[in-house]
Amino acid sequence: MTLAYVPGDSLAHRLDPRSKLLVQAGFAAAAYAYTTPRGLAVLTLLAVGCLRLAGGGPRDLWGYRFAAPVLVIAPLVAGATLGTPWFRLDRAADTALASYRVLLILVVAAGYVRSTPVRDSRAAIQRTVPGKPGQFLGVGVGLVFRFLPLLKRDLLTAREAVRARGGEALPVRHRMRLVAVAGINRAFSRADRLGTALNARCFAWNPTLPPLALGREDYPALAVGGGLLLAAVVAVIA
Amino acid sequence: MIDVDGVTCRYGEGGGGDNEDIGDGDGSGGSRGTTAVDDVSLTVPDGEFLVVAGANGSGKTTLVRTFNGLATPDSGTVTVNGTAVAADLVAARTAVGMVFQDPRDQLVASTVGADIAFGPENLGLAHAEIDRRVADALAAVNMTGREDDRVETLSGGERERVAIAGALAMDPDHLVLDEPFTGLDEPARRSVVDRLRALHREGTSVVIVTHDLRDVLGLADRVVGLSNGRVAVDAAPADAVAELPALDVRVPRK
Repeated sequence: MTLAYVPGDSLAHRLDPRSKLLVQAGFAAAAYAYTTPRGLAVLTLLAVGCLRLAGGGPRDLWGYRFAAPVLVIAPLVAGATLGTPWFRLDRAADTALASYRVLLILVVAAGYVRSTPVRDSRAAIQRTVPGKPGQFLGVGVGLVFRFLPLLKRDLLTAREAVRARGGEALPVRHRMRLVAVAGINRAFSRADRLGTALNARCFAWNPTLPPLALGREDYPALAVGGGLLLAAVVAVIA
Repeated sequence: MIDVDGVTCRYGEGGGGDNEDIGDGDGSGGSRGTTAVDDVSLTVPDGEFLVVAGANGSGKTTLVRTFNGLATPDSGTVTVNGTAVAADLVAARTAVGMVFQDPRDQLVASTVGADIAFGPENLGLAHAEIDRRVADALAAVNMTGREDDRVETLSGGERERVAIAGALAMDPDHLVLDEPFTGLDEPARRSVVDRLRALHREGTSVVIVTHDLRDVLGLADRVVGLSNGRVAVDAAPADAVAELPALDVRVPRK
């Protein structure tokens, strides 16, 4: 699966993007406030619930697999010591919990990305953050979501091109360099062409944005998001 | 009407315009950079089906990009409907819809409907008008009801048609397509040709850039052949066809 919107009629698809953004923010705050295994167990249920409400499943997390090496290696690095005992389990466990929190946030983000068209995200941001900063943020979010899948495809194409000519026999470091250089070159020319395409279609900082309206279904979501934020604040104060 | 008067475009050292991406290879070299388009004058009347033909590097992509200000001439002027392109870029880009050689470069949203709506949204139109334009554009390319399809799931021919729909949603007077048949199989080519024929019949002026006239010669009112950035042929299709092979342009067999 990709990091992209998937049209559908799930509950999350019907929610206003502002409600979903509040739930995301509340979830992220709670994940950093409640670091115990019990707290993370509750948040796990909540994260899986968010993804399911967006009609998603484990396959949607495949798009985030590039983060996996960092999340896995971080506890190993944190636990390693330069002398005896060579590895400290307590440090590794703390970092593993932190990695797990990041994973949970990615699960909730996957539900958001899957259920929210980019232009709705842009509208939500521009209406929440007034003026130029909101326009700038909204455009930035739109371009990132458009550009990331293309960048990923360019890197995969570069990797296939290396493989197609026997590049698999090369040392990993050499292969990484080839893919990175070719991928970055492609990304720059891709960015140029995307810029031209935006110009050709009269790119505007303040276009007609889709209408947003909070409905009955949004109130529980707002309550969950607000509740999570409140719980995070209470936990930090306590 | 598009009116091109004495336009010259250079890129590289000495080129004043933003013409790095000429699209179809090198133009003619020189001490003041490479000249992609060399003193071209041309008029495209409303409703005409014009084919701009030439080999790679003949300057055809750069020339048509001056029609809506995507390329800036180093000298000469381009006017669209009586207004200089440089004086009102939004008007020029609304009047001249552009479909790029690779439609993947043009599609900027994740679903078909969102992509087609992108241009009208930028024009600040009302929601009802945007919805109407999206529906009309989809109907024009025979893709009604496909608004929610994800762009990445479309075939090459469908992508080309969505790119055309995205340009049509701007309600242009002229539709410019740069090598629209590149990479398409025969059914997809036929589908695009059928759509272009229908659009032209409904009054849209069509400009096609190509080095292969086999698909479009029968539709053309006029053929302009470019060589080294200059107009080498400007004639009705029946008259132009004999001269085009000398410009490395492929023509249909008799």
